[in-house]
Amino acid sequence: MTAAATARRFGHPEVFAAIAALSFLAARFLPVLSLPYTCPARGLLGIPCATCGMTHAFVALAHGDLGAALTASPLGAALAAGAWAYALADLGRLALGRPFPALPAGRLRAATALGVVALLANWAWLLAHQA
Amino acid sequence: MIARCARCQGTFTTDRFGAQSCPHCGTTLHLADPGAPAAAPPPPPPAPETAAAPGPWSAPPPSGAPPFGASSPPLPPAAAPPGLPPPPPPAGAWGPPPGWTPPPPPPPGELAAPFAERATRGFFPSLVETAKLVFTRPTDFFRRVRVDQSGSAVLFGVLLASVGTMAGALYGWLGGAASLAAMEEMAAGLPDTQAQVFRGLGGLMGGAFTFGQVIMAPLMALIGIYLSAALLHLVLMLLHATPRRFDGTLTAVGYSYGLFALGVVPVCGSLVALVWYLAVLIMGLGETQRCGPGKAALAVFAPVILACLCCCGAIGLGASGFVQAMKQAADAAKSGPTNL
Repeated sequence: MTAAATARRFGHPEVFAAIAALSFLAARFLPVLSLPYTCPARGLLGIPCATCGMTHAFVALAHGDLGAALTASPLGAALAAGAWAYALADLGRLALGRPFPALPAGRLRAATALGVVALLANWAWLLAHQA
Repeated sequence: MIARCARCQGTFTTDRFGAQSCPHCGTTLHLADPGAPAAAPPPPPPAPETAAAPGPWSAPPPSGAPPFGASSPPLPPAAAPPGLPPPPPPAGAWGPPPGWTPPPPPPPGELAAPFAERATRGFFPSLVETAKLVFTRPTDFFRRVRVDQSGSAVLFGVLLASVGTMAGALYGWLGGAASLAAMEEMAAGLPDTQAQVFRGLGGLMGGAFTFGQVIMAPLMALIGIYLSAALLHLVLMLLHATPRRFDGTLTAVGYSYGLFALGVVPVCGSLVALVWYLAVLIMGLGETQRCGPGKAALAVFAPVILACLCCCGAIGLGASGFVQAMKQAADAAKSGPTNL
């Protein structure tokens, strides 16, 4: 296999899979929760922002605590699970030598819209439970 | 002879002309026979990206605009099939690469960025020339840059953004002593919980954290570029503004990320870089995705708009909660004397 062909095999999907895998390693082995950071929305307004709790959700799920992950941020838990599942699936795809499946633009668009709705729903859930 | 794929730019050896598939990416290609009396009409391209992949530096841009680098060296000899005429000089007319039939319609004047030709132009000269184009002529640059070489765009952004991040971290570390003293003073007058936050922030200015920032700068820049591009691309997809796929978005984000090299300017460098980056990014996305600055600006600011809407809603909720709390307090005050 030529270098060019190898380079083509490590394309954008593999970069995203690597980022997802790195997020697991960081959440599992790095003391990310000990960083002194407070969400500005929570600090100024006393209420969580739409993405509050996602770091806690990633860390909790990386340590196998699904309940704590869902409590911290349901969307964060789903995002972490989805990202790590994608990394594993992409690794398996590479091992099997399968091509990356073509995703219809309409379906991606619908998924994006669903993501925005999920973000807003997650924020409403956070407000209801943590504000 | 050696041929080059117009889509993935990979070279391969073949002994015949005509239609065949690239062994690297599988794209169906058509190698024109130079001995044929008349060029046969080329087959339709399989994808718009394939059609928009001209040979690097072998043609002038349309409408007489100057190319990115008039002093571009010619193609390496290995790319030219034997028996064919040598590639035209870089300052000459736009024509097909050796052995290729120009795809119909002619590509709209797309050129490889100077940094994408760093192997022939030299690393630092191509880096500086690309930076000049991105910083000073972003609209022209992104209108004509090829989007099928996003790897060069990512590398460009990672390198320059890392330099800016490292410089900013070093400035923070050098000026950290004064900041730490000020934070200690502030923390002394605060409650314990808030004082801990301030002392923790002071810890972020320590040497270990600065060292970590410097070491991790390239990785964080790479992750930032890809995640920013992914987020922007999703929003652009919602706006039906992604005719050139993810590579178009990644090219704009990658080259725009180079603006963060302005972090080497002390004090105001990071702020200037952020504003300039946003402006260049909007122009870049509008050009690389051919969607115009309006949709590009909407995509760039959509997360901010969403956050503002959330904050407004939060403030509204907070205000209503405050009003409720005031009412309860008022009720308690009214009923207080009677309970005593």
